[in-house]
Amino acid sequence: MKSFNGFKPLAMILPGLLLAMFIIGYPVLDLAHTSLQEVSRFGQLRGFTGLDNFAEVFADPLFWGSLERTAIWTVTVVGGTLIISLPIAIILNDDFYGRGIARVIIMLPWAISLTMTAVVWRWALNGRAGLLNATLMDMGLLAEPIEWLAEAQLAFTVEILIGILVSIPFTTTIFLGGLSSLPQDSYEASMVDGATRWDQFRHITLPLMKPFINIAIVLNVIYVFNSLPIIWVMTEGGPANGTDILVTYLYKLAFRFGQIGKASAISLIMFGVLLLFTIIYVALVMRGEKDSAPGEEE
Amino acid sequence: MPPMLKKSLIYWAILSPLVVVILFPFAVMFVTAVRPRDELFVYPPRWGFSEFRWDNFAEMWVKTNFGEALFNSLYVSVLSTALALVLSIPAAYALSRYRFPGKGAYRTFLLMTQMMSPIVLVLGLFRLMVALGMVNNLNSLVLTYAAFNMAFTIWMLQSYFSTIPRDLEEAAWIDGASHFTSLVRIFLPLAVPAMAVTAIFSFINGWNEFVLALTMIRSSDDFTLPVQIYSQVAGRYQVEWHHVMAGTVLATVPVAIVFSWLQKYLIRGMALGAVK
Repeated sequence: MKSFNGFKPLAMILPGLLLAMFIIGYPVLDLAHTSLQEVSRFGQLRGFTGLDNFAEVFADPLFWGSLERTAIWTVTVVGGTLIISLPIAIILNDDFYGRGIARVIIMLPWAISLTMTAVVWRWALNGRAGLLNATLMDMGLLAEPIEWLAEAQLAFTVEILIGILVSIPFTTTIFLGGLSSLPQDSYEASMVDGATRWDQFRHITLPLMKPFINIAIVLNVIYVFNSLPIIWVMTEGGPANGTDILVTYLYKLAFRFGQIGKASAISLIMFGVLLLFTIIYVALVMRGEKDSAPGEEE
Repeated sequence: MPPMLKKSLIYWAILSPLVVVILFPFAVMFVTAVRPRDELFVYPPRWGFSEFRWDNFAEMWVKTNFGEALFNSLYVSVLSTALALVLSIPAAYALSRYRFPGKGAYRTFLLMTQMMSPIVLVLGLFRLMVALGMVNNLNSLVLTYAAFNMAFTIWMLQSYFSTIPRDLEEAAWIDGASHFTSLVRIFLPLAVPAMAVTAIFSFINGWNEFVLALTMIRSSDDFTLPVQIYSQVAGRYQVEWHHVMAGTVLATVPVAIVFSWLQKYLIRGMALGAVK
């Protein structure tokens, strides 16, 4: 086949490229422009103000509180997810009775939209009649119903646990893909050498799984950092901003309080952080491609 | 005890806490959806209830305007998927079959946009739709969903297209078929399964999307399902939880079944298309 086909391939990618550039590119430029303007409640630009909006953001204690909780939220959800998902994937990669059923159940949270999951949990955690209280009281673990979402610290902890729960399927899928590509003969060789399963895990599985663990970390960080529905539906960042993370705070500023200039500045800051994560991701992917397939590009 | 049985029991014992936590919300959903209204708030809270009230579903359908939200969700998910596929198929074909200037940059662009989340840009997107006069218009969702989904659909299609041998097309050219004919007669029929799977995932993405729908759609007649169900819960003094749960059952279970069935195909398209 000819290696260069004129402009035909360019014409084939162009329509999609234009739509993506327009829908994704325009908002970025608009946010950059708006963040440097004084903006009325109704979105009218009132003239250039330099970095005033950014200064206002950095002087806002709620911003710093949200930033801190975003860090906690991201690190704990991603960390918890990885620690749980790796053993789950190792189990699901092995053969046992009922493996098909186990896989379907573990993957279920992925099949439900986060909004619906959060709505169901909001009801399950209801302080008066929630069925979590019913279960714990039936088991004798609780004497009185607990208001799970009324106090920020407890609500945030519960939200983190649900965040972990819904991130497990995707992460397990990545790990299963990795495990299925591991060479079986190194395990057999190590068995001959008398290695225990723990030795095998530490010296064969973990090192070989490292690229997949890296990808899982970066992708999860991106997804979790950006995740609005769980916290928004369950507590809307309340009570008293106690569960606000950057995305919920940004959403309130933009669409509740009409602080468009400030919201644009936060959007832009978050865009920068996201871009950084994405560059790390792209670098990981490109490195993986170079290592794995020399003749891939043809 | 045979070793296989012992291993299975140990594995299930390890998995069981997670299995219980995963199934718990489903149990909550079903049990609440069929519960009589006056047994929602009882003290002490309990799982049991006196009778299965299947009427809850019919009642919910009428009272919450479920049919309209269902139609809106279908409209947005189907059209955004169609738009994304129409634009993605040629792009994915070009990626898998041709070499062209800027290909590397284009692949990087795709990876970048795949990671771009609507929430970070939501204010800019809203201002864009205001400028276009498309706020409160379902087509604003069609455009944005298609644009944000395209990186995923191109990536996924591309990874499948690369598995279709090009000899078949080349043989057709030798027999005198034009590129266009071979594309339509030889390539596309082979690519149908890949396109179907990709379309279903794109559909589910649109079906489940929340943030943009919450932002762009202001009037309750145009709500999609996630926003409609959210609006039954948020900022209400009295929430009709049995209706809300009946709604979530109808909105999620069919999609969940399809998703569980096709989930193994997802591995190829997503991150793993990248990690390999």
